[in-house]
Amino acid sequence: MLRKEKTIVLALLIQLFIAAFSSFLVVGLVSLYDPGSVGGYTVETAVTGDASDDLLAAVDDREGVSARSYPTRSAAMAAFEERRVDAVLVATHADGRIAVRATVPDSNVRTTLAVVQIRDALRAFERAERTDRAAYLDALPLELPPPARSSPYYGFTYTLLVPLLLFLPVFISGSITVDSITEEFERGTLELLRVAPLSMTDIVDGKVAAAAVLAPAQAALWLGLLRLNGTTVARPLVLLAVVASLSLLIVSLAAATALFAPDRRVAQLFYSTGVLVAFGGSTLLPVNPPNTVARLAIGSAHGGDLLAVAGYVVVSLVAVAVVRRAVTRLSL
Amino acid sequence: MSGRVTRLARAATERARTVLRIARWEVARGADTLDRRTLAVGAVGLLLAGLVAGAAAATGGAAVDRDIYRIGVDEESPYYEPVQASTELVATSPDGAELGSDVDVLVTDGRVRPADSRKGQAALAAFRAAVQGYNDRRLSEDDNRTAAFPVVVSLQYLERSAERPAGTTGGGGDGGSDGGSSAGGGDGDDGAATSPSLGGSDATDDDGPLPVPDVGGGTGGLFRTDTTGSPADIAPPFPFASLVLAFLFLVPMNFVIQAYGSTILNERINRRGELLLVAPVSPGEIVAGKTLPYATGMLAVTALIAAFVGGGVVSVAAVAPVALLFLAATFLGAMFARSFKELTFVTVTVSVFLTTYTFVPAIFTNVTPIALISPLTLVVMDLQGTAVSASEFAFATGPIFVSTGVLFLLGVGVYREEDMFTQRPVPLKFLDALDSRIRSARSMTTISALLIPFVFVAELLAVAVLYALPVSVTVPLLLVVVAGIEEVAKSVHVYAGFTKRRFEPSARSALLLGGLSGLGFFLGEKVTAIVQLVGLPELTLGRAAFAPAGIGVSAGAGLLLLLAPLVLHAVTASVTALGARGGRTWYAGGLVAATTIHALYNLTVVVTLG
Repeated sequence: MLRKEKTIVLALLIQLFIAAFSSFLVVGLVSLYDPGSVGGYTVETAVTGDASDDLLAAVDDREGVSARSYPTRSAAMAAFEERRVDAVLVATHADGRIAVRATVPDSNVRTTLAVVQIRDALRAFERAERTDRAAYLDALPLELPPPARSSPYYGFTYTLLVPLLLFLPVFISGSITVDSITEEFERGTLELLRVAPLSMTDIVDGKVAAAAVLAPAQAALWLGLLRLNGTTVARPLVLLAVVASLSLLIVSLAAATALFAPDRRVAQLFYSTGVLVAFGGSTLLPVNPPNTVARLAIGSAHGGDLLAVAGYVVVSLVAVAVVRRAVTRLSL
Repeated sequence: MSGRVTRLARAATERARTVLRIARWEVARGADTLDRRTLAVGAVGLLLAGLVAGAAAATGGAAVDRDIYRIGVDEESPYYEPVQASTELVATSPDGAELGSDVDVLVTDGRVRPADSRKGQAALAAFRAAVQGYNDRRLSEDDNRTAAFPVVVSLQYLERSAERPAGTTGGGGDGGSDGGSSAGGGDGDDGAATSPSLGGSDATDDDGPLPVPDVGGGTGGLFRTDTTGSPADIAPPFPFASLVLAFLFLVPMNFVIQAYGSTILNERINRRGELLLVAPVSPGEIVAGKTLPYATGMLAVTALIAAFVGGGVVSVAAVAPVALLFLAATFLGAMFARSFKELTFVTVTVSVFLTTYTFVPAIFTNVTPIALISPLTLVVMDLQGTAVSASEFAFATGPIFVSTGVLFLLGVGVYREEDMFTQRPVPLKFLDALDSRIRSARSMTTISALLIPFVFVAELLAVAVLYALPVSVTVPLLLVVVAGIEEVAKSVHVYAGFTKRRFEPSARSALLLGGLSGLGFFLGEKVTAIVQLVGLPELTLGRAAFAPAGIGVSAGAGLLLLLAPLVLHAVTASVTALGARGGRTWYAGGLVAATTIHALYNLTVVVTLG
């Protein structure tokens, strides 16, 4: 039976395909989010210049940078050209400060790795120098908390990946609804439906219900997959409630768009841009669905978040009621 | 002779005029659906979109990670302010707070204790970054600049092969500085005694971090910008510029192909397309006319985006074939789809696949020649000012052009009454499309050759995907995958011919068709000698994929190796043809047998030569 329903099979295949490439997507998107996250790489560095001793002292015990002293700048640059070192730091005293001229190679991923390590090493150097000059500062800098052994993907998973996985089915459901209703118009099968002992509201209700139920089901699947993959998501039931209410909202609005737009092209265009604008706009508000979902998933939710969830449920029910009222008034 | 030429010229102008007329109708019809109410709603929508974008720019972007980590810190503690200032952290009262369930990091008596979990460590990292940013901000207000910012760094990017700095000036962009420190106390100039004789262009001052990588105006923050300032201002360049480019160029295409797919599918509903079919125009002209407005639109949008990103003619020329391939794939999808829902899914599949095809290989820019599989690499090269050679351009765009042509040909083949207005299942339609191109047994040769670009594209994608895995695992896997892809390409039209009863299902005809199909494939494969020009055979994986075709092999291999592929292709194609006579299951069995033979051959060649 599943063989006959090609669209579902195709949808599942698309999602599997995306999941298979998700590792690429994760790395790519994380570096968009935070280029400094690519780490775990040791940069061979040449250090030279009259302040090189201070720099070496600060940088020596850091992992990630392996520094070697060179007598002259030209020797260091020669080593750089011959690829014996991946970066050159020329440190000189100037005006009471230390000026560091850093040269890194212009390749692609390697550049980012080198720059990240050098930046961290230089910040450690800056901290050491500030401590030496502490007497001249108005306010002492705060002591830093200890460094953490954390992967940058952790935050990304909960703030970007989980909301993406939960909201994408919602948008797809809306798109299906628009297609479903505009097709009835285009093929002329709406007449047949109306001849059946159903009111227009019932027809729209049926379509909306079918599409709206799909989204929480898919979201539940994704949460299960994440759990299998080792990512625990907190408060799954509340999350599913959020997805269900938002899906009801988006699908009702999609149905309204399809009923009032002249044809499929215009309807899809309005729906796509409308959803993008609404979603983008909502992220600017202090209380927005992606942020609520992120906090619920990561386990930092508090009473305000549960109140927000209740708010989403209320808004979606109101929207459904409004759309149903508009449909009954519609003369087709 | 001149009479013939004039006649041809006149026929050509006539066709061009027909195509333009159909294109005009298409545009007019599209404009018709835009009545006043629609335009009004559209205008309101655009206004809202503009407002949202403006608000986003003003408030500094979306904060999806607001308050995700709870830090238990007292109001009197000096650490309270950094926590308040950071978006990711929220300050809670430490009294009676349990570490792990109420708070993620507890700050009491000057001690910082994280919860014993991954979340605790992540919260600690965010807390540390927040304190660093806070320190930087406070120090920037200090009067004594030399004590507050004792280190001034000037960062320069240098290409190693050629002695010229690769710095490009543009807006300072920052995608990753944690804690959002404001501009460091950089006085701008470096006090280095020895100025470089290489003439570094490193005078751009950092404006301060933006929440989004800067793309506008030249290459911006996506690529290397030489910066000067405190170490906190160093912004690591975003390593996957091609990802942003892929989204920039390909996302608008998605909207266009939605409309294009709709218009093609509309022709098939309620037999609307019948009118054009009976008109004295050929299906090719109809399709060309319908596609022309959309192709022009896509080209215009691509040119705009290329100008926005700072690219030139090369960028547009590299992305244009991708746009055409989008259109071709959507066209074929719309000819096959049975409903709007199916069309949406086909469109989404096409988008995802093509976006992946353009993005994944481009990750490896500057690292290996694999990157040239994707046209986006040409765009990146153009943006960085590297020259693009003709063979590199041909390698990246060649398969795409040929695939576009084949897809359009297949679609035009089913642009007829029997297929347009019926609800035949998709696989049967595909066989119809192949069958429409079969004139005689000799067509097997041409079709096999024409399917080569798809085989090429599929194999290259397999190489790019498997490249990341260790060689011991991927080489055998790749051999089997390559064998399977090629067997399908050699046999699917033979199967179509048998299913449509074009050829009699005897063993003799099967052997003949198989032989011809193998020959066509062999000839087409030789064209992939272009691969040699780009250096793909140098990679182990590239060798594994293409060596069995007799490419990249030293001259001493001789005639045997040149003709061995011909024998292989003829044999395997005949095996599948023999299976194809008997229906679907026998065909599948034939495919498996042929794939096994082919895989063994591949293995032998790679082991002997590798």
